Amino acid sequence: MTNSVVEHFFRHEYGKLVAVLSRKVGVQHLALVEDAVQLALLSGVESWARKGQPENPSAWLYRAAHNQLVSELRQRQNRERILAVQGPAFEEACEGEEALLADDFSDDMLRMLFVCCDDGIPHQSQLILALKILCGFSIQEIALRLFLTEANVYKRYSRAKNIVQAAPDLLAKDFDETFLRQIPSVHKVLYLLFTEGFLSSRGEYSVRQELCDDAVRLTLILANHRYGQVPETFALLALMYLHLARMASRQNDDGSLLLLHDQDRSLWSATHIQQGLHWLERSAEGGVFSRYHAEAGIAGEHCMAPSFRETRWDNIVSCYEVIEAVSPSPLHRLNRAVAIAELEGPESGLKLLQGYSTPAWLQDSFHWNATLADLHYRAGNTVLATRYRESALKAAPNAAQKALMLSRWRMLDEPNCEP
Amino acid sequence: MPSNKYFCIVRSESGSCEAPSPAQMEAMYAKFNAWKDTFKDNIVDMGGKLAAGGKVVTADSVSDGPFVEIKEIVGGYMIIAADSMAQAIEIVQASPGVGGVGSNVEIREISNA
Repeated sequence: MTNSVVEHFFRHEYGKLVAVLSRKVGVQHLALVEDAVQLALLSGVESWARKGQPENPSAWLYRAAHNQLVSELRQRQNRERILAVQGPAFEEACEGEEALLADDFSDDMLRMLFVCCDDGIPHQSQLILALKILCGFSIQEIALRLFLTEANVYKRYSRAKNIVQAAPDLLAKDFDETFLRQIPSVHKVLYLLFTEGFLSSRGEYSVRQELCDDAVRLTLILANHRYGQVPETFALLALMYLHLARMASRQNDDGSLLLLHDQDRSLWSATHIQQGLHWLERSAEGGVFSRYHAEAGIAGEHCMAPSFRETRWDNIVSCYEVIEAVSPSPLHRLNRAVAIAELEGPESGLKLLQGYSTPAWLQDSFHWNATLADLHYRAGNTVLATRYRESALKAAPNAAQKALMLSRWRMLDEPNCEP
Repeated sequence: MPSNKYFCIVRSESGSCEAPSPAQMEAMYAKFNAWKDTFKDNIVDMGGKLAAGGKVVTADSVSDGPFVEIKEIVGGYMIIAADSMAQAIEIVQASPGVGGVGSNVEIREISNA
């Protein structure tokens, strides 16, 4: 008997148990379910540490949480009503249930994911709810990961939970076409979860990686379910894997960031690239081309390019055009300009940005100034380049970004090291 | 096995600790298992957690216990073996159980006399 569990076992069990038990007693009891699962995990840790780990820890936890929940429900003032409605079936259900559990839980988790993405809940709160009840993070851990205050996270979580608890039929109804309408919200939350981990310039690497892995885990559940099998789901998975493939090479041993140009391509994960391309292929079935397809396409081009110079920038430019058309944003315009500059030269990139009404937040941002400094430098406009470099340094969000820029400029200014 | 046995009384301040998150529980569990592994020759009885409530009995009376007026509540116990009090202290201090805020362990040698 070994006393060890797989990584994130407790966190993942939390999500699984909350989903399974909420389905059984109704999501109106979400708070009770969460408390029961929390207590079960805690008694598991205490008991296993002393007496040794049971053969099937998941089943042990299920039983403990189930019993805790039943006794709590019994003690409630309105217990007659609850037991009359939910009781008998629920109580009988415990014995022999463990065997079923393995197949059962992904369906319940998917339902819970849809519940988290209810239209009545703001996107940011949907994300918080998913992190809390499906990923098993505490309020404090969520605050740390989303760079919000604990009070803010708690407030959003409580409001979202109240909305969910007030609509008990959310979990009970059968999976049908009405779920399809909600899929875009689910995609959006999964995308947010992933980008929080992948794009954040703050936070520790391992912590960010954890968010990305959880996003993949939940998206896989969606992709394996009948109603989740739409091209956008596959494209979303493709983009996650194709980004993850390059995640480790994005930073130096000392933790400083590396530009795509300077990354060691041999460090990219072949397994993840393969998985990404597999899902990319599946996303092409069905004649839909979403923003996720375009983003996956861009990531795919980078993964398949033997070097920075040999990247198929024409494909990347067309993908950015699609993204900009689907979701117009000055940031997408900026990305497109960078790709065009690689394809046709810096002047073309600058031309795309000329006369474009840039909002103030972007004009003062690090991205905007660093990109323009680069394009102007390459176009030979040294005076303008210097001015943008100064603004970029002032706007740099952290020391890592600042160091990244300084080292790039040092390399550019040193003629022998011309990339 | 070392010759002396020590009775360890685990106390914690009532209501002082915040519930750990699943990730923290996982870390606790890993630490505890590592500790058990390191000191497997010293752990005589892992003891257990004491349930809340209880009775206080004298020759002619029974009252509710434990003594709630004390701020620290005895929450668990275990028995370890060590060659000396110094080693017992070392073992207990390495245990993840003493790390919590507001918790402590009282070590008493079990007299052989």
